[in-house]
Amino acid sequence: MPPDVRRKAIPAAAAAPLRAEAASIGARRHRRVVTFLVYTLLTLYLAFVLFPLAWLLLSSFKTRHDALALPPRIFFTPTWEAWEKVFTAGILQPFGNSLFVAATNIVVALVLAVPAAYALARLRGSLKDNLSFWVLSTRMAPAFGVVVPVYMLMRLLGLLDTRLAVTLAHLAFNLPFAIWLLMRYFEDVPVELEEAAMVDGATRWGALRHAVLPPSLPMVVAVAILIFVFSWNEFILAFILTSFEARTVPALVASLAGTMSFDWPLICAVSAGAMAPAFVLVFIVQRHITRGLTLGALQ
Amino acid sequence: MLAPAVLALAAVTLFPAIYLLWMSVRGLQVQAPRGFVGLENFRVLVQSPSFREATWTTGIFVASTTTVSLILGMALALALNEDLRGRGVMRTLLTLPLVVPPVVAGFAWKFLLSSDVGVIGAYLFRLLGLGWAPLGDPALAMVSVVLADIWSKTSFMFLILLAGLQAIPSELYEAARIDGAGFLVQLRQITLPLLRGVLVVALILRVLDAINTFDVIFVMTQGGPGTATQTLTILGWKTGFTYFDLGQAAALAVLMMVATVIAAMALIRRTTRAT
Repeated sequence: MPPDVRRKAIPAAAAAPLRAEAASIGARRHRRVVTFLVYTLLTLYLAFVLFPLAWLLLSSFKTRHDALALPPRIFFTPTWEAWEKVFTAGILQPFGNSLFVAATNIVVALVLAVPAAYALARLRGSLKDNLSFWVLSTRMAPAFGVVVPVYMLMRLLGLLDTRLAVTLAHLAFNLPFAIWLLMRYFEDVPVELEEAAMVDGATRWGALRHAVLPPSLPMVVAVAILIFVFSWNEFILAFILTSFEARTVPALVASLAGTMSFDWPLICAVSAGAMAPAFVLVFIVQRHITRGLTLGALQ
Repeated sequence: MLAPAVLALAAVTLFPAIYLLWMSVRGLQVQAPRGFVGLENFRVLVQSPSFREATWTTGIFVASTTTVSLILGMALALALNEDLRGRGVMRTLLTLPLVVPPVVAGFAWKFLLSSDVGVIGAYLFRLLGLGWAPLGDPALAMVSVVLADIWSKTSFMFLILLAGLQAIPSELYEAARIDGAGFLVQLRQITLPLLRGVLVVALILRVLDAINTFDVIFVMTQGGPGTATQTLTILGWKTGFTYFDLGQAAALAVLMMVATVIAAMALIRRTTRAT
């Protein structure tokens, strides 16, 4: 697993520039000023990042009256009102839909992508170049370009407002993504492992299962999580393909936020719920995620 | 081993792509559907003032969000590549917006900037004696959606650039230090040249993503006030799904596809050459 090794082998590279100047007292003071400035700017940026999230979470425990109060209330009596609505007012269904779409995408994309990525990784020549170019350019296609024909197709097939429609539309993005990432990863798995397995009489499939997959498991998990995050967060396709029955969480957030009678705490609660799973998952395998998100471009 | 995936990929990508082309040359207005119309959809689209305006709006949006998130991401990556206390925690916290659904990011900023209930839009600005209505004023609305997009997407720039910085051997900096090179000299002579490939990849991925931004703008302004934040994606959505002229929307999608595929090809060339 070269990327990980490399990352550990080269620790924080550029700690040097500031420290080197600390020869004289003047330089030391200069360094302290610089460090102070860096921390100040970092703190400011962190505040910018965290404030909206904290405010969202805080507001989800307010009553509608408290949420609308000006000046804004930082201290208030917390209430579960909004969260109760999430669990009772039929708002849970989009969460179920999102989970279904994401889970189906993980299973289908991985089942198709693992063998394909392995085959591509061991392939040489122009067929491989063309196929992998196609895979990657598919991933680069703007969602809006997919929305229009997919909407028409689903309308013709009578699949509008079904989970199946959203699932298929997401696969158009998740499948090439999974193939590309796994292919780049399998290329680094030493061929000797499979050769040894095949000498012992294993088939290609056996070699994949017993020699290639085990060391690649962390990456497979990372890809699964990235698929989950894509499906869970994706909006435009889910929004246009569904109206009520099959709408996913982002579609729900948008439709709640688009109504005239804002129930701010409720939208905040739904939003907080929408963020939760991706947050948890991403931190489990953070290291592999970066690579996935950059399409393995930095390999 | 390849066949099932290739077939599935063809079904979910090639088929829609061909269908899109087919739709773009047909008259599909709900009121008066017609058959094959050749390139009329494209002609009408390119000549319409709203297309030109949306192209311009998209340009402003893409240029500003890309520039700011690139500079911010670079600054953050440089800072958190240093041996600072609390580095790990800060890196993790800076990654958060990446997994916040853009719809939620848009809603959070709409909530903060609203001139009715927003902590910033209704309270802070009034406290400071500013009569700003961030989402009601055309220029400020653009600033607002760019701000929310920067919030949402800078994490990505930060991560990709940090990974790039970590791949630069520390010996180079040590050698430079011995030669007495300061921070700026090191940045110009070592960091930027060695980071060039990563910077280009990051920039192209970011530009592609910015051109296709929909969620944040849709939730915050729906392209308004008026058409102040109406980018090409928003225009396409309105054309196809509000005015139900799917032929016209398909033509717009084709144009955007062509533009992004050209950009994507440049990126792929670069990445495949790198390995």
